[in-house]
Amino acid sequence: MVFSIAYHFLRERSAAEEVAQDVFLQFHRRFDDFRPGPDREKHISHWLRKVASHRCIDYVRKQRTQPASGLAVSLEDAPPPSVAGEPADHFLNQRLESLIASLPEKPRMVLILRYQEDLMPEEIASLLDMPVRTVKSHLQRSLEMLREKIGRSMGNIR
Amino acid sequence: MMDDFEKQIQQALSRKDPSPFFEARVLAAAKRDARARRANWQMWWASAVAASLLIVTGSAWQYEKGVRERAAGEQAKARLELALKVTSVKLQKISQKVEHIQN
Amino acid sequence: MKYAIPVLFLALPLAAQEIKMPPGLDKLAAKASEVVDVSLDGALLQLASRFLSDKDPDEAHVKQLVGGLKGVYVKSFEFDEANQYSQTEIDEFRAQFRPPLWSRIVGARSKKNGENSEVYLKTENNQITGLAVIAAEAKELTIVNIVGFIRPEDLRDLGGHMGIPKIDVGGAKKGHDKKDKEDDK
Repeated sequence: MVFSIAYHFLRERSAAEEVAQDVFLQFHRRFDDFRPGPDREKHISHWLRKVASHRCIDYVRKQRTQPASGLAVSLEDAPPPSVAGEPADHFLNQRLESLIASLPEKPRMVLILRYQEDLMPEEIASLLDMPVRTVKSHLQRSLEMLREKIGRSMGNIR
Repeated sequence: MMDDFEKQIQQALSRKDPSPFFEARVLAAAKRDARARRANWQMWWASAVAASLLIVTGSAWQYEKGVRERAAGEQAKARLELALKVTSVKLQKISQKVEHIQN
Repeated sequence: MKYAIPVLFLALPLAAQEIKMPPGLDKLAAKASEVVDVSLDGALLQLASRFLSDKDPDEAHVKQLVGGLKGVYVKSFEFDEANQYSQTEIDEFRAQFRPPLWSRIVGARSKKNGENSEVYLKTENNQITGLAVIAAEAKELTIVNIVGFIRPEDLRDLGGHMGIPKIDVGGAKKGHDKKDKEDDK
């Protein structure tokens, strides 16, 4: 869960493992703070998602202050690559991943928490310390953008 | 109810696993971290005291000196307590051994 | 319980750590699972003392105890496995405690498990001006050097205060006990 959130957010395996390790170390330090009880697992999951989300966002912001290395090309406006024999779904998944990774941090994390973690907007709002209406707004606008870009590159998708 | 596009997004964002040695690396890092924390808890305490003082107090330069001094003092106090604790426990154990031998 | 701290310490110049900690000990930290390494000279002890509360009985007691000290040096290592340190470092440390200034007041050795515990006192003008402890066990090594006016029983009796565990010593006597015993069992 933690690694996956980081991976989809950062789109780089080593960075995702670095963030995930950081989160687990913090969890290890705070383990005794989670009181035993029927809701313990729920609290732990909530805590892990929350810390992972914030760490990922902080990581990206920190990277921004450092010299850029690697991919800085915007993929949204590039024509779709032609890959012979590539299953459309796989290509679509890759394209979606790239587009999601190009979103600003908060909307990107909202999308990941909604569609990877299957969380409702209220839970996402609690994790990211933002109003529910802001979460819904991010979701709506991100979906519109993704539909539009995917539609341009692959034809209309409902 | 999700539409097809949202389901596609869900598929694109399906959970990924870390590399095979990730778990071992995290466990090793946690062990190192626990060791380092045990040796440095007093430094953490001094920092926490310093941080809480910064929040509570006002003027930057005036309290910066006080905060640094307090952090250093609390750190020294914590280290002193640790040293005395170790020494006391050792002396108690030595006394216990001597008593055992005598009896 | 009251502890009398000599007031003449101001008149007696006491050197900061004249006993050297063997440099080889630092390498043990890499092998140890737990390390305590504390070096507090006179200035740091004074600083620490300022943050000991007079209102808390335990802290006030420690403050009084520390008042006569010029240095506290503790190195303690715990290992996951036995035989992680050599006798060389301990012999090097022990060699510094020579008569007439230093005398060994406790020596307890167990041939069965190789444990060796020693306590040395430094005496000048009928005052104790230094304390050293060597506690060598299979998986643990602790050496302590305290410079200044101190009594071993004052430190030992900290047990039960300030979060220091009190170990049942079976009614050990207070005061200087010259014991030098070997457990041959």
